Amino acid sequence: MKAFVASKLDEYRMGKISRRKLLESLTVAAAATAATGGAQAAPAPNRALKAALVNHISYQCPDFHRVADWYSRVFNMEQVTYPSEPTQIGMPFGRRNQKPLGVTADDVPTSYIVVRTRNPNGTAADVGASARPRSRATIEHIGYTVADFNRDQARAQLQALGVQNIRDGGLYSLHMTDPFGYDIQLSGVANNAITDGA
Amino acid sequence: MERFIDRLIEEFDQGKLSRREFCETMAVATAVLAAGGAAANAAPQRGFTMLGVNHLSYSCPDYRLARDFYRDVFGMQVLNDKGTGRANLAFGPAPDNGGNFMVVHNPGNNPQPPTEGYVDHICFTVANWNEPQIKADLAAQGLTQRSRGGNGTMRVLDPFDFDIQFGNHIAENINEP
Repeated sequence: MKAFVASKLDEYRMGKISRRKLLESLTVAAAATAATGGAQAAPAPNRALKAALVNHISYQCPDFHRVADWYSRVFNMEQVTYPSEPTQIGMPFGRRNQKPLGVTADDVPTSYIVVRTRNPNGTAADVGASARPRSRATIEHIGYTVADFNRDQARAQLQALGVQNIRDGGLYSLHMTDPFGYDIQLSGVANNAITDGA
Repeated sequence: MERFIDRLIEEFDQGKLSRREFCETMAVATAVLAAGGAAANAAPQRGFTMLGVNHLSYSCPDYRLARDFYRDVFGMQVLNDKGTGRANLAFGPAPDNGGNFMVVHNPGNNPQPPTEGYVDHICFTVANWNEPQIKADLAAQGLTQRSRGGNGTMRVLDPFDFDIQFGNHIAENINEP
């Protein structure tokens, strides 16, 4: 594909084909290539400490039940409770025990969000968290990937669910806010590390 | 797809994209198109089907420090760094097939006001867990004093004191809470 694109681009630069012809050629070639298969993952360098996937996102809020119910209602997410941690709920992205998208390894489990309401005078973990230095960085928003993302259909669906502050995030995503004003972005696989900000 | 290619050509014409960048972006976009079709075919008829985390938008005083930290410590791949105050850091599966990424960026002109809900830490899965070697990796990065934990899960503070946890599938697994 790269060689074909390079040759067409060279023809365009030399004035052998028009911009319209270049656009048509690349569009057709992309569609044809897409019909025959996707990309290959790049081999990972050999190192012990390498992030394989998000394991979990820890989300603090005043009422963890409320935000868990919001995720279940809006994104069909399952709730997992922890007998030893009564003030938090885990919510997997996808079904439990299902391999995450693109993962073949057996030791990379389903990603999840854990929503919690931490008591600053509570458990050792709570106290440990509050004792850490104040971070000068923030996770401003979380982006989620859903199957079969269609911006217009997704917007209508979110509106029907009463989701607040829905707005476009470029051509390929939507933003919204959760019950505690936190920014959530929704997109399909087309929004990824290559295309975002390209 | 046609609109996306049209925009690429425009950027190439304006000198914003090199020949190499144009070709690479086209190759990946084509792969994304294929993956998108597969995902669409697998989707149910109604409701959202979560596939996973897409990205984390990380705001900090100097994105370059964060970029270098996550690249050097967690092996993330730097993409789309045009020197304009932001970069993507890819990790996990291929970007077009379930890969995650962090967008590390400077605050910009309109930073978001604080909200009642917030992310207090994130945790990465590390495959093929080898704790002695991981500790050696941390030591090689000079992070011994900023890290803690063991037995399958550890934590480290990044350059902006954001709390980062990482662990294996035994210590950190939603399937076995």
